[in-house]
Amino acid sequence: MADAHPHAMAPTRPGKTRTAPPQRPPQFPMGGRYLAYTAFGWTGLIYLLLGFLVIEAVWALGDGAAAWQEQLLRYEHPVYIAFHVLALASVVFVGVRFFRLFPKAQPPRIGPAKPPPQSLIHGTLYAVWVGATVVFGAILAGGLF
Amino acid sequence: MAETLVKKFVVTRFDPDKDEAPRTESYEVPCHPDWKVLDALNHIKDEIDGSLAHRWSCRMSVCGSCGMNVNGQPTLTCKKAVSDLPDTVEVTPLANFPVVRDLVVELDGFMEKLKSVKPWIIRAKEKAVEEGPMRQSQAELEEFKQFSMCINCMLCYAACPVVANEPEFLGPAAIALGHRYSVDSRDEGAAERNEIFRGEGTVFACSYANECSEVCPKHVDPAAAVNQAKFNAVIDWAAGLVLPRGGKE
Ligand code: FES
Repeated sequence: MADAHPHAMAPTRPGKTRTAPPQRPPQFPMGGRYLAYTAFGWTGLIYLLLGFLVIEAVWALGDGAAAWQEQLLRYEHPVYIAFHVLALASVVFVGVRFFRLFPKAQPPRIGPAKPPPQSLIHGTLYAVWVGATVVFGAILAGGLF
Repeated sequence: MAETLVKKFVVTRFDPDKDEAPRTESYEVPCHPDWKVLDALNHIKDEIDGSLAHRWSCRMSVCGSCGMNVNGQPTLTCKKAVSDLPDTVEVTPLANFPVVRDLVVELDGFMEKLKSVKPWIIRAKEKAVEEGPMRQSQAELEEFKQFSMCINCMLCYAACPVVANEPEFLGPAAIALGHRYSVDSRDEGAAERNEIFRGEGTVFACSYANECSEVCPKHVDPAAAVNQAKFNAVIDWAAGLVLPRGGKE
């Protein structure tokens, strides 16, 4: 088992006897249920890279029509396509994780109002997600504007 | 008489006066089929090696003192049947805690964290006894009852990956127990606790691994409490921007 942070759960003042350092949960980071937690952390790197790609795209737009056409051609490269598939998978993974949490994270009341049933919140989140995807898809395909 | 199952128990041992670091020791234990892991540990202590140190009290999943990692899983040893485990059972102290001796972990760090969230009813002004009891409806009770079921067994801390990385993190049980009072209709200290929960290493350090809720033997769902506390802390902060006195009456 790997060591946890040496001060994990240690009191501010040391006790009377010497203690052995805390150990991490044995399956951490890649075993059992911890895999999802670790994968969630790694998605941060994917979003960071996506951020750079957005800056690159804005840069190309600012450089004029020819630069933008070149940028579009670059997007057809298999590495770009693979990265975007990975980014899509990350967004779906994080979205599903968040949607699982969101209903039970509702406070029991906000003022006098009670939240609706969890199943309704859950269903609404997915409906909005699917709806937004369809709308954005239609815009990107030139079907709406 | 029912046949006994002989299981090999690999138990972590640590004597702070003698051992440089924890080590393991193996014991062949003839277990009755209806034994729990705690019965096997008590058998080791009573019949094989009296120097083994472990905590327990109620033997019925109420006191929360017998938490240990059993085959890597944070477990109440008085609840886990040996018949559900393989032939080799590895018993280690709860992960993420300093070890005092053998299977006994240091709980003072948790007690400090628990105290910091003010887990008691805070009243602006105490109600006089003559005014009678503070009444609470069934619906008001339901709002915190689940969170009040916590038995401080520390399994949630042993499972939480954030606790292992960020020593200042308040952790699941302390936050759940603070939140339990914030949503109690008799309490008037939610604003104070929200202030605490907006601080460093508290509710926003949680990235929803949900491990705490997976291992909780009392179905407290600390992950829900932590994330409800996030929500309340944000709403309280936003209300403070537009309403006088943080939106409190
Ligand atoms: S001995 Fe009390 S919970 Fe296990």
